[in-house]
This record gives sequence, C-alpha cells and structure tokens, in this order.
Amino acid sequence: MNEQKRLSVIKTPFLDALREIYPADRLLAGSVQALAYESDALTAFNARPQAVVLPETPDEVIETVRLCSREQIPFVARGSGTSLSGGSLPVAEGIVIALNRLNRIKRIDAETRVAVVEPGVINLDISRAAEPYGLYYAPDPSSQSICTIGGNLAFNSGGAHCLKYGMTSNHILGMTVVLADGEVVTLGSASLEGVGVGPDLVGLFVGSEGLFGIALEITVRLLPKPERYCTVMAAYDDLGTAGDAVAQVVASGLLPGAMEIMDRLAIKAAEAAVHAGYPPDAAAIVIVELEGETRQVDEEFKALQAVIQASGARHIHIAKDADERARIWKGRKSAFSAVGRLSPDYIVQDGVVPRGHLGHALTEINRLSREYGLEVANVFHAGDGNLHPLILFDGNQAGALERAEALAGEILRMCVALGGSITGEHGVGMEKKAYMTTMFNETDMDTMKAIRMQMDPGLIANRGKMFPGD
Amino acid sequence: MSLQPQTIADVQDIVRAGGHLLPRGGGSKPGLSTPTRGTTSIELRNLAGILEYEPGEYTFTAYAGTPVAEVATELARNGQYMPFDPLLAGHGATLGGTVAANTAGSGRYRYGGVRDFILGVRFVDGQGQLVRSGGKVVKNAAGFDLSKFMVGSLGRYGIMVEMSFKVFPRPAVYHTLMLRYGSLADALQATFRLSAAPFEPDAVDLEPQPDKSCQFLLRVGGLESTLPDRIDRLRTFFNDQSAAIDQAHILKGDEETALWIGINEFEWTPSQTDAVVKVPLSPRQVVDLDRAVPDSIRRYTCAGHVAWLAVSKVELLADTLTRLNLTGLRLTGEPGDVILGSRLGLSMAQRVKQALDPAAVFGEA
Amino acid sequence: MVKAIESCVHCGFCLAVCPTYNVLGEEMDSPRGRIYLMKSVLEGKIEQEDAQPYIDRCLGCTACVPACPSGVQYGELLIGYRGQSEAQRNRPLLDRVQRTMIRETLPYPDRFRLAAQAGRIGSLFEQALPEQMRAMIGLLPQQLPPAQPMPEIYPAKGPRRACVAFLSGCVQTVLAPDINHATLRVLAENGVETIIPRGQGCCGSMMMHIGETPLAQQLARKNLDVFPTDVDAIVTNAAGCGSGMHEYGLLFAHDPAEEQARAFAERVQDVTVFLDSLGFRPPQPLPQPMKVIYQDACHLLHAQGIQAPPRRLLGSVPNLTLLELNDGGLCCGSAGTYNLEQPEIAGELGRRKAERIIRLGADAVVSGNIGCLTQIRTHLEAKNQAIPLYHTIQLLDLAYHGAI
Ligand SMILES: Cc1cc2nc3c(=O)[nH]c(=O)nc-3n(C[C@H](O)[C@H](O)[C@H](O)COP(=O)(O)OP(=O)(O)OC[C@H]3O[C@@H](n4cnc5c(N)ncnc54)[C@H](O)[C@@H]3O)c2cc1C
Ligand code: SF4
Ligand code: SF4
Repeated sequence: MNEQKRLSVIKTPFLDALREIYPADRLLAGSVQALAYESDALTAFNARPQAVVLPETPDEVIETVRLCSREQIPFVARGSGTSLSGGSLPVAEGIVIALNRLNRIKRIDAETRVAVVEPGVINLDISRAAEPYGLYYAPDPSSQSICTIGGNLAFNSGGAHCLKYGMTSNHILGMTVVLADGEVVTLGSASLEGVGVGPDLVGLFVGSEGLFGIALEITVRLLPKPERYCTVMAAYDDLGTAGDAVAQVVASGLLPGAMEIMDRLAIKAAEAAVHAGYPPDAAAIVIVELEGETRQVDEEFKALQAVIQASGARHIHIAKDADERARIWKGRKSAFSAVGRLSPDYIVQDGVVPRGHLGHALTEINRLSREYGLEVANVFHAGDGNLHPLILFDGNQAGALERAEALAGEILRMCVALGGSITGEHGVGMEKKAYMTTMFNETDMDTMKAIRMQMDPGLIANRGKMFPGD
Repeated sequence: MSLQPQTIADVQDIVRAGGHLLPRGGGSKPGLSTPTRGTTSIELRNLAGILEYEPGEYTFTAYAGTPVAEVATELARNGQYMPFDPLLAGHGATLGGTVAANTAGSGRYRYGGVRDFILGVRFVDGQGQLVRSGGKVVKNAAGFDLSKFMVGSLGRYGIMVEMSFKVFPRPAVYHTLMLRYGSLADALQATFRLSAAPFEPDAVDLEPQPDKSCQFLLRVGGLESTLPDRIDRLRTFFNDQSAAIDQAHILKGDEETALWIGINEFEWTPSQTDAVVKVPLSPRQVVDLDRAVPDSIRRYTCAGHVAWLAVSKVELLADTLTRLNLTGLRLTGEPGDVILGSRLGLSMAQRVKQALDPAAVFGEA
Repeated sequence: MVKAIESCVHCGFCLAVCPTYNVLGEEMDSPRGRIYLMKSVLEGKIEQEDAQPYIDRCLGCTACVPACPSGVQYGELLIGYRGQSEAQRNRPLLDRVQRTMIRETLPYPDRFRLAAQAGRIGSLFEQALPEQMRAMIGLLPQQLPPAQPMPEIYPAKGPRRACVAFLSGCVQTVLAPDINHATLRVLAENGVETIIPRGQGCCGSMMMHIGETPLAQQLARKNLDVFPTDVDAIVTNAAGCGSGMHEYGLLFAHDPAEEQARAFAERVQDVTVFLDSLGFRPPQPLPQPMKVIYQDACHLLHAQGIQAPPRRLLGSVPNLTLLELNDGGLCCGSAGTYNLEQPEIAGELGRRKAERIIRLGADAVVSGNIGCLTQIRTHLEAKNQAIPLYHTIQLLDLAYHGAI
C-alpha cells in the first residue's frame, strides 16, 4: 500500500474534520508531502506539519481557521515559502494553510488605480495584469517573480524601488482578514487614504508576520509607469567609498527611485548567473536609478552625474536601453540565489543603519568577516540603509552554522547600536526573534504580546515566531 | 479641567492617576480636542521641540507637541518638507494632533499620507507605561507597527509623546494648472484620464461650484528649469481632451503658494459654525456622495480619494454616510460624536484597545 | 547529482516557470520540491516509492534550469535520478504495458507506423480503455500520411556554402514526413548540401528522459557510428532530439565512447540556429500579410537556450508579423511521452496554451517541435479552432515556394 492510501485511513478527529472541508487531493497529510513543506527559503530550520491544506476559496480558509481555533491546532499561512527568516516554517503539531491556489486577480480599476487580489497572487503578476493600463505595482522584492502578495503583506516586504514610494505597507489600502479566532474583519477601503478615519488597522496588520490571522483579499494601490528611467552603474575600488557615495547622493537632495550596492563577491555570483554586464574587477558597484517625467529625470541626471563623479567612482556606465536596464536589474535581483554558486549555504541578514553610517557599517562587516574567517557577500538596498550581508558557510562542517549565526548576531547588534534596526524587510520570523530585545525593552515587548493575545488568545497563528522564548 | 505636563514622566504620572483623559495639541481641530464634562484635557504644547534632525538622513524625531509649522520651517531651511502635507499649520497644529487625527492635505497625493511617513512613535499607554514602536530609520520591519496604528487613533489608545518621520527633498518650485469643467462628473473623468498618464502632480483637487461647474486644480512641483515645459505638456494634454469649459489658467509664485495655504487652513469653509468633515472614499463614490450633500461646501482632494465637507447639519450627513457605507471624521465643531457613518474593523480596534487601555482612560475605541 | 542538490538554496525562483507548479500549486510538484524529495530519497529519509508520483509528474521541460540563479542543473539531476530509480522501481501493470509499448515502438519508425495504425483501430474501443491508453490514442492523427523515403544526399541550390549531416528522427518521420523534406529544401535554398547517413536511428533522448538509460545508450551508439565527422554540423529539426544529442557526453560518462560522444554533441545544431549563423537568405514576400505565433518548444528554449534564431528567421520573411504569447515559454504539456503518462496535467497545460493562442488571435502557429504541434492542434480542435500549424521550417519552405 503506498503512502497516500495508508494515510487516507488514518483517523483523528481533527483530520476527519479537515476531510469535511477538503477533498483528498487538497488535503496533504503524507510524510512526503509534509517534507516538501518543512522549510521556507531559510533551510536552517525545518519542521514537518501534520497536514498541508490547499484552499481554493476564502471560505475554506475561514472554515479551516475556525476549526483550528476550536481544536486549538496551530496553523501557519504560507505563500510561496520564500521567507528568509523562517516566517513560513511550519509548526510540527500544526497545519500549513498553503494559499497558492487563492491566486485570482479579482478586479483592476485602472482609472482609480487600485487592484483587488487574493493573497496567493504573485507580486509580479499584479504588475503584469496592470501593464495594459500603463500601471504597475511598485514594491519589488527581488523575489517578486514568485513571492505572493500575502507574504509581502505579512512581512511588509520591500525591494530595490522602495526609496521613493515606500514598502508594501504604503501600497496596501484595504483587506479582509480572518483573525486567529475565526472572526472575519474588513479593514481600510479602496480609497488612497485607506483606513483614513480611526486607527490605521491596515498599517497594524501589515508586517504582523501572520501572527494575527490570514489576509483573504487585498486592495492594493497601483502607480503609473514612469515615463523615463535613467539607470546609472558606477564602479568603485572600495566598498566603503561606494557606501559613502550613496550617502552623498541622498544628501544632494536627489530622490532616486532605487539605489543599490553590490560588492565583489555578489557581482561575481550575479554575473555568472545572468551575464548582467557588471564590471568584473570592481570592488563594488552602485546602481542608481532615476525615474519620472522625462524632462525632470534628464535634468536630475545632470546633478546625479556630478555627485557620482565627485564620489570617487572609477567607472560610470549608463544603461543605453530597456534591455540593458532589465539585465542590470535581473543581475541584482538574482544575486541572493546566485551566491549559492559560491557556497553550499549562506544566511542573509537584513539590518538597517542610518545612511550616513553605511560606509562605517560595511567596513565593520568586513572586519568581522575576517575575524570569523567566513566570507561575506554584500548586496543591498543602500538608499534605505538596508544591509544584506550574506554570510557564506558550509553546513556540512561541524560548527559552521553556529559560527555564521554568531557573526550574524554581531552584525545585528551593530545595526541597533548605530540607531538602526534588526530587520528592514525580511521580518523577524524564527531567525531574529532572539534579537528583538536588543531593539525593544520589556514594556515594548509586553505591549506587543498583549496585542497578540487579543488577536489570538490561543496563540495558534504562526506560533513560535517573532517573540523570543515562544 | 486641563493639565500641562512638562515631561514624559509627567504624562505617565497623570495617566497613572487615572480618570478620563483627552490629549490636546494645538487645538486646531476643536471637534477632536475639546474635552467634554468629566474629561481632563492633557495639553501637550509644552512637550515640544525637535530632538534629532539629520538632513542627510531624511529623518527627524520630535516631541508630539511640536507645532508642524516649526518643523516645516526647520526642514525648509534644508530644502526638505513633509510630503504628507500637514493641515492647519497656521492654526497651530502639532505633530501629535496631525498623527492622531490623520490630517494630511492635498499634497499627500504624490507620495502618501501621514501613515506613509511616520517611522516610529513613543506613547504612554492606559497604564502609564512608556511604549516604543517602530524606529528612527527609514526602513524597519521589526515588531508590530504601532506607529501606523496611531495614525487616526484620536488619542484614544495612548498619548503620543514623541515621533519620528521620514522627509523628502522639497520641490524647488510649484505651479498650479487650473481648469473648469461643466460638472463634477466631467472633472472626475479628467482625473481618470490622468491615471495612466506619466505626469507626476503633487495635488489634484476638485472644487464643485455653486453653478454646478467644477474647478480642477493640478499642482506640480519640480526643478525651476523643467517646470514650464512640464506644465505646457499638461496643458496640451487637457486641451486635447477638450472637455474643459474654460481655457487653462496657470498660477505661479506667491499667488500659487497662498492658494494652497488657504486650502490647508480651511479658508474655503464658509463660516465658523459649519463642521468640517473628512471622508475617505473611492472616486467611484464621489458622485453619489456629492448628490447627497448639495447644501454643503465640498472639495475633493487626491483625485477624488478624499472628500472634505463643510456642513451645518452633521446628523444628516451621518445618515448619508451610513447609507453610502462611508465613514467620516468631524474635525471642527462641538465635541461629541466625531466619527460619523459606518465603522469598519471596529472589533479589531477594540481588541487593541483592550491591550493598550483596558480601563478606557482614553475613552472608547 | 550531489552537486546539483547542494547548489539548490531553496529560494523558489524556479517555481514561477514550472508548468506543473503552475497547474497544481503545490510544493511537491515544483522543481524546488522535487529536488528536496530526490535529496531526501538519496539520503534515505523517505521511500523512493512515496516520492515517485511527484518525480513522474515532472515534464522534464527544464524551464527551471535557466530560471535558477544558483545554477542548479536540474536536467542532469533528473536524468541521473530517473536512471537510478527506474532500475529499482515496481510499476503497476498498466504502466508497464504502456512503457513497454513506448519503449518498443516510438524509437523505431516502422514499428511506430504499424502501432499507430493499430491504435486507430483501437480507437474504436477507446471508451473501454483506461484513461492513460486513451490519451495515447487521442494523440494519433486520424490518418497517417504516406511514408516518404529520404534521399542519401540532397544537393545545395546554387554554389555550396556548407555541408551538413541530417538526423531524420523517428516519430516525426512517421507523423509528418513532410517536415524532413521541407528541411532539405530550405537548407538547399540557403546553399547547403545535406547528407542523410544511412543506418541512423532514433537519437535515444526520449528514452534517456524516461530513465531507460541502457536503451538510450544502445540507440545513441548506433548514431555515433554512422554519422560523419567531416561536416559543418549535424543538423536536426526536432527540438527534443537536439537537446538529447547535446547530452550524449553525459549519457556516456565514464564510458570508452565518452570522448567521441562529446565531439558529436558539440557538432549538433538545431536547423534554425545553423541557418541563422550561416546567414539566412530571406524568402520572397508572402502574398498577403500574416500574423504568426511562434510557440517556444521547451527543448529549444529551456534546454538549449534557443530563443532568437527561429524568431529572426521568421521575422525576416517579408509580410510576416510575429506575435508573442508572453507566457514565459510555459510548456504546452506535450513534453515527449508526458501527454501519454500524465494526461490530466498535460491536458490542462494544453488547454491553457490553446486559450492564450485563441485570445491573441493569429493566422498560424509555428513551433520547432512536432510534439508541441500535435498537442496544440489537439487542444485547438477541442475548442473548434482551425488555426493552421506549421513547423518553423515548413513555414519557411512554403514561403520560398510562394505556396502560402
Ligand atoms: C532570493 C530571495 C530574494 C528576496 N528578496 C527580497 C527583497 O528584496 N525584499 C524583501 O522584502 N524580501 C525579499 N525576500 C524575502 C521574501 O521573498 C519575502 O519575505 C516575501 O514577502 C515572502 O513571500 P512568500 O509568498 O514567499 O511568503 P512565505 O514565505 O510563504 O510567508 C511569509 C510569511 O507570511 C505569512 N503569510 C503568507 N501569506 C499570508 C497571508 N495571506 N496572511 C497572513 N500571513 C501570511 C507566512 O505565515 C509567513 O510568516 C527574498 C527572498 C529570496 C529567497
Ligand atoms: S531556483 Fe535554483 S536554487 Fe532556487 S529553489 Fe529552484 S533550483 Fe533551488
Ligand atoms: S523540468 Fe519542467 S516540470 Fe520538471 S520541475 Fe523543471 S520546470 Fe517543472
């Protein structure tokens, strides 16, 4: 008897109740199936859920959450499982609610620039659907070709182009959610003002990492596609100088759409992956992109050029057409995964520092890298001061993961000490929960816990994440 | 009764002492900050001043009682501004009041509202504890985002004492294009056509006129050298659409500045007795709402995403809003019911209330 | 295999392009999931048998390979894994019968011809047959075209610019012999002389993909022997054969013939790539404007990275406008024997492809692979759409001869 058949006869009251909601092919309770869901993009953690369900309607999600609440079974919502902080890591005794089949774009109102989508819709698919109207969905995590809007919402995900128009939170106007105890609430509206009157519950839900409940339907804001992009790639002989250059651009009063840095290792990896045309011998490159009305961009470009030239850039290159621009961004967006070519394992950190401290922070990371004897690749949202050191290690070597984690910890503490944050966009998840107390004191933490208790008295939604010792 | 704390610790002491408390900043939105009987007013104007401002970071941190005018002046000195365009600066609005009431002006169209620029907050909760949420850097995903939650919280979930904001470089110059359409519906159509156009206006306002025509205002900011060309393109764009009943008119310089200051200071409202009500809505709902409130003075900002109504009969408006499934916030007039019409998400708000202020020191959710 | 597995960082980028993930939306049916399952089987964490359904559902379209920034060679992993697991697995009887039929007929044109004719008769009993067998029969054409023997040499027209050896293939020879003849004519128009080596046979790639490694080697060895080495290229017009022959080196790893196989593989070129690099001579203008959808065959686009050359050839035909499906080259569900083995998913993919084509509206659909053409025709017909379908080379041939 194969496993599927063996399983169909296993009976627990909870599984039986799930069978009432889901046909056999959408209730995955086999160990092979659970295995496939045991990790997200942070494989240092894994746990096999007792079942995975694949709802196809919001009502099925609601019923499932109500059942879990009744039976006090923990659940974890999952989008595409690209979380880098262990956010969609299952709970062993619980279930995973995989939202990938809730992927309908329900409405695009081009004239008022909003779209209504289900949570399993892939980020990039919104822009694809909006494209015929000359619109797009602005936040662009590097994983945008596969991550879901639900996952973005849970983490308040960012991306390269969040400097000007902000992160996910700034683009979510409204939503319908099922809270962990089964109550369904509608928050915000299809107005640009979103909630507008009364406390901003949309703002509170976004970034709550799946601890309050599950978003079932999401209203997002769309933007008109910029008329012109001007993408500048500057090469530097030294990472610190590149960091300073970014601070200078910001201080000059320009407001680029994106400003990114990649260091030598990241350049090497990305170049191998997509042949983006990066200068192979540079210690670092800065990618700055201006966007907007043609006249304005052309004028701003003159100012930008002056700043970059004075910043000690060794070489400056301007993307000559849309194809080249696409290649430059493809390289940047592939960089994390491409580092997999250089090392069997890595962990990505996501700390933020004030932009003026970028140069200093990078120098410090370099020093720590030497001290720990672990290579670190850097590729990050420099304009926001959002660092992404990728710490390379070989998980097959005893103690390597622990050393990498210790190094990561030092970097995070440095970020907080410089007045920054432990995470800019990847969320706390499993991975950084131990560092929450470096940022927040006991009162702050207790307040957040109290709010969580109100939303989820049984602590069944994404149990084990965000709060240390949980 | 009113108390005037000098320090954060004072605020904590006051809250610990209990009672019914209502924070008050500059008093520019009397409907929200005038205490009713049995409620003590906590005046925050002494808890004022900019604590940190690093122009190169595009961020600042200030006490909640700091007047937005003071902040704006300081920012302007460095060529920066608050893109959410705080209202009523001339009436003494403070940062705290602006966040609590969520009063962003027409300029929020370009980059976003108060919620999009607040980075962090420190507030005193219902038990007198000082709580921090968010941070001081432009990007931060750690913990629940209570700073956003506080936007629109009307002082009912805690007393904000300090907040951090993101700011942007200020456009060097502004011009405003004015057009007139035969009706509000026509003007709305104009905004719809604008939706996919590559223009980047800072504000798009619609002003229905007593004669049923509608004034259409488009504010554009940018570099002095490029603005004339950009405005010209816009003018051509609208001329080609040819629905406007008058030639486009362009405002510049002091006249232009004064126009928008007037709008932000509610100078368009006819008299002191009328209450100003803010109603967020979809532009699709504008015509219905407009038809239901013919006697009020109306303006629609953000290309029809926010309505501002000056009304004398608030109860009538409340019924209308309920019927249209809209929510309004009354900023001026007598204290009392300030949230009008239907209320979404109330039960979730009540949950947070339980966590932050279980004894309801700051009133009901 | 270990290398491929180790370089996967579990980022999920490959999920977006995977046809089975697109249809099913579940992790086990994604490249990342399959790699994880294969890894777990190899590590002994789970039973091979339990993982098998998900590995079987893989189309082998290799769309996930170019999509992977970390350079995971999924195609190699899959072939290696299937080769290893096929030996150990216990298939149900129906599967075995079907596989035997595939193994014993597809590679051999004469037998396939017979079987195909029998299949038509069998279709009388179609309703009584199990789903999988029905799928096989449904794909066969109503009537087989008559066999058209190939010459041994086909001369260039005008001065000779190049000389190539041509793989005439197996299934295609039976189902659409015209494609081969069109290829000879188009090559000739471009000044290319073509040799069709006698004694050649199936390239073996299909067997390689379904894990029948020994048979694949046996078939390939024959070709290594009969193909000349002194030609400018070994040309094929079948996407699957082209990509399979590029893998000959891998097929013969650690075999004495490895060196020879590698040299062979390096000379293999798809006919469109060969013509494009030679310098294509555009045909005369089409008599009237024609909108054409070029459907990327997985084994051209994903496995060999061939995207621009066929588009350039078609685009050079005056009066022809190319339309793009913009679906990231998502597989149509044909994928070798896939529509025989996984009819449900293949059917869903075929339906989706047909819908996109219909929505776009075109005068013809062109692809570089007979499998795709068959699959798309089936699904267009199911929607009562009679859009003509051509192999790339067929359309070019018709253009040269003003026959369109
Ligand atoms: C190579 C790579 C590059 C990346 N680049 C970026 C980047 O540039 N910027 C960035 O911000 N992130 C980036 N990420 C991280 C990741 O892609 C984002 O966090 C993304 O938002 C996760 O989406 P997902 O659909 O994969 O969600 P999952 O990983 O499946 O889930 C993430 C969290 O969201 C919760 N969740 C999912 N759906 C819902 C819902 N409907 N309601 C409530 N909670 C829900 C889950 O429980 C979980 O806690 C990157 C990841 C990878 C692997
Ligand atoms: S894209 Fe590559 S590294 Fe990422 S999950 Fe897929 S196979 Fe693994
Ligand atoms: S080969 Fe095709 S079907 Fe198989 S995992 Fe890769 S993309 Fe999916």
